[in-house]
Amino acid sequence: MNITPPLPKEAARRPLKWSRYRYPESLFRFGGLLAVLAFLAFSISFLNVDLSRIIGAFPRLGEILASRYYPPDFAYVMEPEFLRSVRQTLEMSLLGGAFGVLLSIPLAWFAANNITLSRRIAYPFGRLAIISGRAIHETIWTILFVSILGFGMLAGILALTVFCVGFAGKLFADELEAIDMGPVEALQSTGSTPLQVFQYAVLPQVRVAFTGIAIYTWDVAFRAATVVGFFGGGGMGWYLKRTIQQLETTRVAAILLVIILLVSIAEIGSSWLRSRIARMR
Amino acid sequence: MAAVSALPGMRIDQVVTGRRRRRYKRWMIAAAASLVITLCILDTIVADTDWSRMGGALGILGTLARYLQLDFSLLPHLFVPAVETLMIATLGTLLGCVFSLPVAWFGAANVTPSIHFFYPLGRFLMVLSRSIHEIIWALLFVGAVGLGALPGILAVAMRSIGFISKITAEAIENIDPKPVEAIRAVGGNQFQVKYYGIVPQILPVILGTIIFEWDINIRRSAVMGLVGAGGLGLIFFRQMAMFNYGGVTMVILAVLSLILIGEIVSHYARKAVI
Repeated sequence: MNITPPLPKEAARRPLKWSRYRYPESLFRFGGLLAVLAFLAFSISFLNVDLSRIIGAFPRLGEILASRYYPPDFAYVMEPEFLRSVRQTLEMSLLGGAFGVLLSIPLAWFAANNITLSRRIAYPFGRLAIISGRAIHETIWTILFVSILGFGMLAGILALTVFCVGFAGKLFADELEAIDMGPVEALQSTGSTPLQVFQYAVLPQVRVAFTGIAIYTWDVAFRAATVVGFFGGGGMGWYLKRTIQQLETTRVAAILLVIILLVSIAEIGSSWLRSRIARMR
Repeated sequence: MAAVSALPGMRIDQVVTGRRRRRYKRWMIAAAASLVITLCILDTIVADTDWSRMGGALGILGTLARYLQLDFSLLPHLFVPAVETLMIATLGTLLGCVFSLPVAWFGAANVTPSIHFFYPLGRFLMVLSRSIHEIIWALLFVGAVGLGALPGILAVAMRSIGFISKITAEAIENIDPKPVEAIRAVGGNQFQVKYYGIVPQILPVILGTIIFEWDINIRRSAVMGLVGAGGLGLIFFRQMAMFNYGGVTMVILAVLSLILIGEIVSHYARKAVI
């Protein structure tokens, strides 16, 4: 006696070999892959990219690094003049980060959808300030400030400030939009002014998160501060530009190594501090 | 923090001393921070700024006014570089994804081929990629492969590796191990385990990350031209070199419109993915 029911017709037609996608879906996926490949081919020809060079790029980079950039000229980076520029880079990142964070707290307050002062005026203003800080790259800000204010660290600090407003402002605003609205409504119902609401209902909820974001902002600002000097903003970027243009490649290598070392230290330090602050929560 | 400051069973004087100590500590931190900031201001802004060169508030306003005289004759020359910038960003992101596959594989503790050698290597590559600024990457590649769009693509790709592979490695470390074990149990080989067991679990996270990174890479590729790697940055550099400030503003507006497009596309793409 055969007790197994006959297989439905559809099941009988299924291919024996298992595959993850079946007929209509597999066609769409194939079409999508084809479109991506067509776009790739079009853009490679549009940009005039020589594909043979892409394969040779890394061996060639290694060869150049080994033949011209090695050995790094560490005596150059130990000179007091360069060490002063390292200190200035650090100071620029601290100032840019501090100004940026201080400015972005009120801007984030304006730009947070749930607690903004007024949806008509303050909200678009805060959003616009944060978006314009984020949208334009820090090097373009540096060039603009240098052309207006002249060479020097003031331009670099202002560029970093704008950059930090964009960076920290967005994170602050996201954090503010996720707060518990209960305390805010409680204070509003007692007739508090908006500033009192912000100080007593909003700030205690986000203080720990803001501290973490501020430290992270400094970390990112330090990374950006290493290159603002490249466009006249002061700090060690200027030494990088000078040595690159004079083709003193061993000195370039030493400066690059110093940058990598400092940025790694900053990153390790900031992540250690942030994890400590997160545990305090 | 409020919950820690007053545990049940604490005497009131303990609570008060705890609060006083914390307040003291906070004041000390604030004082130290403001001291450092003041020293920095003295050393950089006060000592290093040439105020006379700016020509006072009027001089600054005059410079600003020069930027506001828009140069609309540049408009037709901006379209092709804008498309180039967009393509550099897209190709750079795609290449960055390709590069970050092995890095994420090495840097995820649960799938790494060797925890003593490849895991630290993967982590080191992630830090290296992020710690070098995209301008410096572009300079290195301009030296290696010459001028054009290719160094820009490579620089954007190298800079993207850090973020994409870090998020991917974290996603791999947080997967549910059961599907992986199931596929291994039915006899799947190493590739099948990864392709059918790991990839479907992390795909939404990775796609969201890639879209986010593409959005950032548009900003980055817009400055690649400053060091000789094509796109809108090159036009920006030329207009700046010609002191055509109205043209500079036009290029910035073009960058802004590109970023707006990127923002809209990434918003809808991320909605479709997640």
